[in-house]
Amino acid sequence: MSAPLLVIQDLHAKVAGEDLEILNGVDLTVEHGQVHALMGPNGSGKSTLAKVIAGHPGYEVTKGEILLNGEALLDLEPDERSRAGVFLAFQYPAEVPGVSIANFLRTAMNARVGDEDEMDIFAFQERLTEKMELLKVDEGFASRYLNDGFSGGEKKRNEVLQMAVLEPALAVLDETDSGLDIDALKIVANGVNTLSSEDASLGVLLITHYQRILTYINADHVHVMIGGRIVESAGPELANKLEAKGYDWLHQAAATV
Amino acid sequence: MNNTTAAARTDAVLPKWNFAQFASELTEPAPLTSARKAAWKRYSELPFPTRKVEEWRYTDISTIDFELLTPAIRTEEIDEELPADVREILSQSGDRAGVVVYQDGCVVHVELDQVLADAGVILCSLAQAAENHPELLQQALFETRPSTAEEKLWTLHLAILSGGYLLHVPPGVELPAPIHTFNTLKTPGLLTSTHSLIMMEKSARAAVIEEFISEDLDEQTVSLHGASVHCKDSAGIEYVTVQQYGRGVAHFSTQHTVAHHNAKSITFNVGLGADLSRADVTSRLLGPGSDSEMLALWFGDAQQHFDHHTLQHHKAPHAHSDLLFKGALTDKASSVFRGLIQVDVGAQLTDAYQTNRNLLLSEGSHATALPNLEIEADDVRCSHGATIGQVDNTQLFYLMSRGLTQRQAERLLVFGFFDEVLGRLPMAGVRERIRGAIEEKIGL
Amino acid sequence: MPQNETIKELGLDEYKYDFVTDDKPVFRAVPGLSEEIVRQISAHKEEPEWMLEFRLKAYEIYESKPMPEWGGDLSTLEATLDNIYFYLKPQDQMERSWDDVPQEIKDTFDKLGIPEAERKALAGVGAQYESEMVYHSLKEQWEEQGVIFDSIEDGLRNHPDLFKQYFATVIPQADNKFSALNSAVWSGGSFVYIPKGVKVEIPLQAYFRVNSERMGQFERTLIIVDEGADAHYVEGCTAPVYTTESFHSGVIEIIVKKGGNFRYTTIQNWSNNMYNLVTQRAMVHEDAKMEWLDGNLGSKLTMKYPSCYLVGEGAHGEILSIAYAGDGQHQDTGGKVVHAAPHTTSQITSKSISRGEGRASYRGLCKVYDGALDAKSNVECDALLLDETSRTDTYPYIEIDENTASIGHEATVSKVGDEQIFYLMSRGLDEAEAMAMIVRGFIEPVAKELPLEYAIELNRLIELEMEGSVG
Repeated sequence: MSAPLLVIQDLHAKVAGEDLEILNGVDLTVEHGQVHALMGPNGSGKSTLAKVIAGHPGYEVTKGEILLNGEALLDLEPDERSRAGVFLAFQYPAEVPGVSIANFLRTAMNARVGDEDEMDIFAFQERLTEKMELLKVDEGFASRYLNDGFSGGEKKRNEVLQMAVLEPALAVLDETDSGLDIDALKIVANGVNTLSSEDASLGVLLITHYQRILTYINADHVHVMIGGRIVESAGPELANKLEAKGYDWLHQAAATV
Repeated sequence: MNNTTAAARTDAVLPKWNFAQFASELTEPAPLTSARKAAWKRYSELPFPTRKVEEWRYTDISTIDFELLTPAIRTEEIDEELPADVREILSQSGDRAGVVVYQDGCVVHVELDQVLADAGVILCSLAQAAENHPELLQQALFETRPSTAEEKLWTLHLAILSGGYLLHVPPGVELPAPIHTFNTLKTPGLLTSTHSLIMMEKSARAAVIEEFISEDLDEQTVSLHGASVHCKDSAGIEYVTVQQYGRGVAHFSTQHTVAHHNAKSITFNVGLGADLSRADVTSRLLGPGSDSEMLALWFGDAQQHFDHHTLQHHKAPHAHSDLLFKGALTDKASSVFRGLIQVDVGAQLTDAYQTNRNLLLSEGSHATALPNLEIEADDVRCSHGATIGQVDNTQLFYLMSRGLTQRQAERLLVFGFFDEVLGRLPMAGVRERIRGAIEEKIGL
Repeated sequence: MPQNETIKELGLDEYKYDFVTDDKPVFRAVPGLSEEIVRQISAHKEEPEWMLEFRLKAYEIYESKPMPEWGGDLSTLEATLDNIYFYLKPQDQMERSWDDVPQEIKDTFDKLGIPEAERKALAGVGAQYESEMVYHSLKEQWEEQGVIFDSIEDGLRNHPDLFKQYFATVIPQADNKFSALNSAVWSGGSFVYIPKGVKVEIPLQAYFRVNSERMGQFERTLIIVDEGADAHYVEGCTAPVYTTESFHSGVIEIIVKKGGNFRYTTIQNWSNNMYNLVTQRAMVHEDAKMEWLDGNLGSKLTMKYPSCYLVGEGAHGEILSIAYAGDGQHQDTGGKVVHAAPHTTSQITSKSISRGEGRASYRGLCKVYDGALDAKSNVECDALLLDETSRTDTYPYIEIDENTASIGHEATVSKVGDEQIFYLMSRGLDEAEAMAMIVRGFIEPVAKELPLEYAIELNRLIELEMEGSVG
C-alpha cells in the first residue's frame, strides 16, 4: 500500500515576522485520485493553507507536517515542491511582462526533467497544442505575455492550462472560481474535470468560498475551515447544507470545541 | 551637479549700499543681527549663479542689476488697523484665522483670532519671534541649508530680511480657517526679503495662503521670499502661495518643507505675475508614513518667465510624495520645470510620483522640462512623466462650434487643464480664491 | 555645401545642446599623447595632407577642452589617459597571446558557447578566419549593387572625394572633448556607402569585414545612406570584449538622405576596467528614417547617447537602448533627438537594469526648434533594480520652442516582485532562473528587435549574470 498523496498533520502557521497564527492545527489527507473541497468563510485561513503547501516565503510554519507521497514537503523550496508534483493555481497570479506563456512553460518543463532530458521545442509545442485543444484555449493565447493585462477569467484559464501542461500529482486550486461569470466558471470546471479524467491518480484540493463550483466539479469530500482549523468534514452533501444554512451554525460548533 | 566652478560674479552683485551701514540702521535683537552677518559673510564668498550652473541653465538673472536696488529696511511700525485695500480683498475671501500684511517687504499688520491665541497659537512678526523665541529662529530658519545652487540667493535673503512672521501651532490644535497673508509692493526699485516660518507641533493642523501683490512697477524691483515649514509627527499643513505681482518685478521664492512621522504637507504655488518668477520647492520626508503633495500651476503671457525647481527627498522608508506641476504659456512666455525625486539608501517602500504638464498656446512660447530621478533603494514605486503640447483640437472645435471664439475656447480649456491641480486642494475657500485669480489673469 | 550649413545652424560645434560643461580651459599635457604621435599615426596611414591637418587641429581642441563634469565619475580618467598608448600598429596588437587572456573571460566564452576562432578574435588575439568565405560571397553581391563596405582607412584611400565630402560633417572635431580626441587619433572602423535606391537585405556586419584592423580604441565609422536606400549595420557582440586597454572612445557618423532607411545595431560588453565614451550621431533628412539599437553591458563607465538630428521634413528617429549596470559599473546612457524640421517624429525606449552596486543612468535630450511644426516625440524609460544597493537615475532634458509640438516622457522604476519570483518558482523554476526570466521579460520589448543570434546571446548572458546574483 503506497503512502497517501497528501497528508497534513497538526499544521500551524503564521505570517512571517508576526505573532498571530492563521493556521491552528490543520489535519487533512488527500488520497490519489480524490477531489477534496475546502470551504469556509473569508479569513478562515483557506488561502493561507494553499500558500503554505506551495511554500510561500511570506508564511512561517510553526508546527506540524506536510507529506507528499510520504515525503516531507516543508523543507523544500517552492520550485522543489513544484518539481515534486505540487501545483498551486493562484487566486491572484502575478503578471510577468515580456515573457510569453509558451516560453515560460517550456522553461518550467525543462526545469523538471533536467538538462539531459530537455524536451526539444517541437515536442514541447506538440504537447502545448494538445493541452490547449483539450482545454479549448485559443491558439494565440500561448504567445501572450504571462498574465500581463489579462482579465480575471483569462488568468484563471492560464492557471488551468499550466496545470495541464505540467501534469502535477496534486493540484491546489485557490479560489479559482472567484470573480468568474458562469461561462468562465464552466470552462474552468470542465478543464479541471478533463484533467482529472485524463489522469486518474490526480489529487485535487479545491478551495472555494462558494458552493456553486461544486455543481460542476464533483468533490469526494467536503471540509469546512473556520479559525484556521478544519471543523467539519463530510461527503458532497455538506456543500448543499452550507449553501442552505451558511457558516453560522459551524461557528457555534467551532466555538464549543 | 557641479556648480562650484561657476565663474565668480561676486563683484557684480555686491550692492553699492554697504551692509555694515544697513545693519547699523536696524533696531532688532542682537541674535538676529549676528545671524544676518553670518549669512552676509557666506553670501560674499559665493559666486553669483550664472547659466553655467546647471540649476540656472534656463533662467538668466544677469539681466537684473542688483546694484541698482535699494534694500527695504525693516520697520517696527505695526499698524493696529487692517489696511483698506487688504480689508476689501478679505471681505471676499471667506473665513480666516489670522492675517499678516506686509508693505514693501515690512510687516505692517498682524492679527490672530483671540480664541486661537488663547489656545497657545503664536502668530507674530519675526522680530518679535527673535525677541521671544531666539532658539526657534536659529534652529528652524538660520540653520536651514539649501542646495549649493540656491545658496547665493538664500544667504542674501537671510542677510537682508526685511520682514517675516512666525506661525507656531501647539500640539493637537487645529486652525478652523486659513491664515491669510498679503505681501504688497508699492515702491519701485526695492529689494525686499520676507520669510514665513511655520512650526506645526504634533498633530497640529493649519492652512496658510500667501498672496504677493503689486501694480506694474516702472523700475526693476526684486522680491526674495523664503518659507520654512516644519511638520512634527502627524501634523498637517496646507501652504499656498499666489503670486500676482505686476510687471517690473522679479520674484524668487525658496520653500523648505519638512515632514516627520505620519505628517502630511501640501504645498501649492500659483504663478501668475512678475516678469521673472522662480520657485525652489523642497520637500523632505524624514519620518515613516510622511506624505507630501506638491502642486503648482502657472500661466505666462507677454515675456514672462517661470522657473520651478523641485526636490522630493525621501530620507525615510514608507513615505509618499506626489508632485503635479502644470503650466500654460502664451505670447513669448517661457517656463522651466526641473524636478528631482531623490530616494536615499534605506528609504524602502517609497512611493514617489512627479508629473509636469505644459500647454503652449502661442508660436513664440517655449517650455523646458527636466524631470529627474535618483533612486538608491530598490523596493520603491517611482515614476515621472512630462508632456508638452497644445490644447486638444477636437475639444477646441467642439467649444467653438458652440459659439465661443478661439481665444475663449482656448482659455476655457486652460482653465479645465488647471482644474485637476485645483481639485487637489482640500480647503474650498482657498480653492475659490485661486480660481478667481486665475480667471482674472487669463481673462475668462 | 548644405550639409555643413545645417550643422552651423544647429551649432553643433559649439557644444551648445550638449550637457553643460564648464568652459574654463585646462591645458594639460598628456604624456601618452603628443603632436608627434598624431603626426606618426597620419604618416603610418599614408594619409593626405588635409587629414593630417584635421587631426592636428582636433588635437589642439582636445587639449584645450576641460573634462566634462557631468555624467559619470571621470576623476581617475586623467591618470588612465596618461598611461595608454594612443596608437597601436596592427602588428603590436596581434602580439598578445591566448595565454594572456584572463581565465574569467575564457570561462565566460565557454559558458556562452562562443566558437574557438571567434573567441580569439574577441580576445584580440587572432583574426576571424571562418567568416572570410561568407564575406566573399556577400561582398560580390554588394559590389554589384555599388555598395561600399570598407575599413575606414580603405574608405579614405579608395574613395577620397566621397569621404571628404561627409567626414566630420555630423560630428565636428570640436563637438566634445572625446570627439576631438577621436578626431586626432582615430584608427579602425568602417566606411559604408549605400547608393541611391539600393536595398541591402542582409545586415552589414562589421564582423564580416576582413583585412581591417580590429575595432580599436578610437574607432571611427562613417556611413552614408543615399536617397531611398535601405540597410542595417550590425556591430559588436554580447560576449565580453577583452582588451588590455582601458579606454575606448569611438565616433560614429551617419547620414541618411531623403527617403533612406537605416538601422545601426550595436551591443557591447566591455571588460569592467573600461572607460567607454562614445559619440554617435545621425543626420536624418527628408522622409528618412534612422534607428539606433544600442546595448551596453560591462565597462567601468559608459557614456553614450546615440543621437538623431532630424533635419529634413518628415524625418523619423528611433533609439532603443538596453543598459545593464553590474556591480561597480556605471552606465550613463540614453539618447538625443533634435527636431529641426517640420513633421518630424521620434521615439526613445530605454530599459536599464542595475545590480549590486551598479548604477544605470538615463540621460536624454529632446529638443524641438522653433519652426519644426507638428514635431512628435515620445520617451519611455524603465529601470529595474535588482538589489538594495543598486541605483538608477533619470535625467531627461526636454526643450521645446515650438508650440505645435507634442512631447511625452514617462519613466518608471521598479524592482523584481517577490510575488513574481514565488509564482515562477511554484512552477518549478529555481530562483536564478525565475530572476533571469523576469529580467528577460523586462528587456523583451527592445531585445525582440535584435538580430536573433544577438538576442540568444543576450539571454544567455543574463542567465549567467543572474546565477551570481542569487544568494
